[in-house]
Amino acid sequence: MRFFRALFAALLLTVPSALRAQPQLSGNALQSSNILNPNISAVGWLQGEAGRRKPVVEEAAAPFAVKEAEIAFQSVIDPYTRADVFVAVEGEGGIELEEGHLTWYSLPGGLSLKAGKFKGAFGKFNLTHRPETAFADRPLSHEAYLGEEGLASAGGGLSWHIPNPWLLVNLDAQAFVLPGADEVPAFGKAKRNDLLYIGRLGGYYDLTESANITLGGSCAFGAAGREFNPVTASSSTLSSRLYSLDLTYRWKNPRRAIYRSLFWQTELLWNRREITAGSYENTMGYFSHLEYQFARRWRAGGRYDWTRAPGDGTAHESGGLVYLTFMPSEFSRISLQGRQVDRSGGTKEKLGFLKLTFNIGPHGVHLF
Amino acid sequence: MKFLNLFALTSLFCAAPLAAKVKVVTTTEDLAALAAEVAGDSAEVTAIARGYQDPHFVEAKPSYLLKLKKAQLFIQVGLELETGWAPALLSSARNPGILPGRPGFMDASEGCEILGKPTGGVDRSLGDVHPLGNPHYWLNPENGRVIARAIAHRLSVMDPDNSGKYKANLAAFEERLSEKEKEWDASAAAFKGVKVVTYHNSWPSFARRFGLEVVDFVEPRPGIPPSPAHIHSLITRIRASGVRLLLVEPYFDLKLPEKVAAESGAALVVIPPSVGGEAGIKTYSGLFDRQLELLKNALGGK
Repeated sequence: MRFFRALFAALLLTVPSALRAQPQLSGNALQSSNILNPNISAVGWLQGEAGRRKPVVEEAAAPFAVKEAEIAFQSVIDPYTRADVFVAVEGEGGIELEEGHLTWYSLPGGLSLKAGKFKGAFGKFNLTHRPETAFADRPLSHEAYLGEEGLASAGGGLSWHIPNPWLLVNLDAQAFVLPGADEVPAFGKAKRNDLLYIGRLGGYYDLTESANITLGGSCAFGAAGREFNPVTASSSTLSSRLYSLDLTYRWKNPRRAIYRSLFWQTELLWNRREITAGSYENTMGYFSHLEYQFARRWRAGGRYDWTRAPGDGTAHESGGLVYLTFMPSEFSRISLQGRQVDRSGGTKEKLGFLKLTFNIGPHGVHLF
Repeated sequence: MKFLNLFALTSLFCAAPLAAKVKVVTTTEDLAALAAEVAGDSAEVTAIARGYQDPHFVEAKPSYLLKLKKAQLFIQVGLELETGWAPALLSSARNPGILPGRPGFMDASEGCEILGKPTGGVDRSLGDVHPLGNPHYWLNPENGRVIARAIAHRLSVMDPDNSGKYKANLAAFEERLSEKEKEWDASAAAFKGVKVVTYHNSWPSFARRFGLEVVDFVEPRPGIPPSPAHIHSLITRIRASGVRLLLVEPYFDLKLPEKVAAESGAALVVIPPSVGGEAGIKTYSGLFDRQLELLKNALGGK
């Protein structure tokens, strides 16, 4: 609650000055309805799957299916605010608001403010939309702690470029309505108005003209369900703390930018979860992903996973995924992937995937 | 007294930014070179993309935000040349003064002669086509003149104290450019009407200005790598049409152009399309000097 008060106070202090500082929209700018339409784009994701999931799932995946079409509406609203709306239409028929948020980008002091439903600034991988990741699946550790869809909820957050002349350092502070444990397993709702607090400090540095590195540390604090004490006939809220370290290294020679590149990303998650009042279980998981672009249209990559489940320090799962991706153009990709997972019960799961994605319209580019 | 001292000190600090140089950030080195000609020592000009980079495929690195955060004037080529990276940088820079529509944002294409505007419908089956026209328009020195005038005007509005300097710098630049154009025209007279094939469709403005005839491209469509069938038909066409030069930008792999040149008999010319495309090209005029020198050398033995 204190965070929301601070956020509200910051908003009161910063928004009016920003509003005063901006010029007014000219009348001419309002005349062309086409120009003022939002950018509309769609990312389509089709996927084939071969092999048998273990443990066996009740409803086996179709050998080939439309996984998702993500439709984006992005536009500047006025001189102070922009809106980004991403609607996921799932192949099985469900429609979900994946993200829908306002960003006040004209605040002074290198600040920006976001409100709505959006992906939490927890690590780097969580920010990437599912069709746009290199993988047909998600890293085991992210699935175990942050769920199949990643950490996204309704809330608000401040982002601050910490001023310094040498490197870009960014601090994010966000508060969300805590999602249910079925969505984000590292946490568990105890009360309807439980909040999840996230902070991330990240820095970016150019090592050379061709190589750069991003290093970040994140933390998330929230409830981990309720415990009922039959002796006192009262219940208390359990807590969970999730920490993350992320490291991303990129190499691309700008003189031959379209032909060769290297990407390496590693994320480590560490969870301290209260199992019963005052008793904690520490667990962790990580993944490491390496991708090499060896020709203009071709990339090969692999990922190694290792994870325990939140609150369960007794067993772990590990596995790996390899892929070969062909990109006919910037706007489509065809990826053949193979995955093996050593499940905690001692079984091995081997799956093959064909992931096809395409992009129509001016889908916004993300900074890396 | 203490209060007065403090007030004087504060005033000095507050006044300092007004006396400081105008901070100009451009997307390319060509625009930076033109801005530097006009601004002289009254502005600090930096470019994001280097001249040896393909301006279509610049990565939106967060380190560029450090430049953009402090910029007072942002100049882009426009016509969607930088669509893959500049909008993302601008929206993340937390500098509202340089966003589109604000006084600190300038699209250099305004007022320039733009070629290659598609007349029918446009979609991506045509490749990475630019619906607003070919964005390589700075390769016509007359467009360079238009851009320099626009920059001078914009700087004069932003920094009226130095408007006299900007006007004088512009006049001197235009005079030098006019002299250079006479030289270039004399030099280009030797290859008027020469047929060329280019790798990417980067040269329509240059070709029109200096009298080259662009017959075909190594890319079958902008941004689309060539297939063996396209290369085969290109070689046949080069032989049949009497194409003498194959122009390739330095950021493209030379393996395929070398094969095309070897099999067709056209001379391969690696030609920089931008200031900074080679270490010695540091000015806008220097770019045309070098380009015309390369063409002259390539045709010298033919």
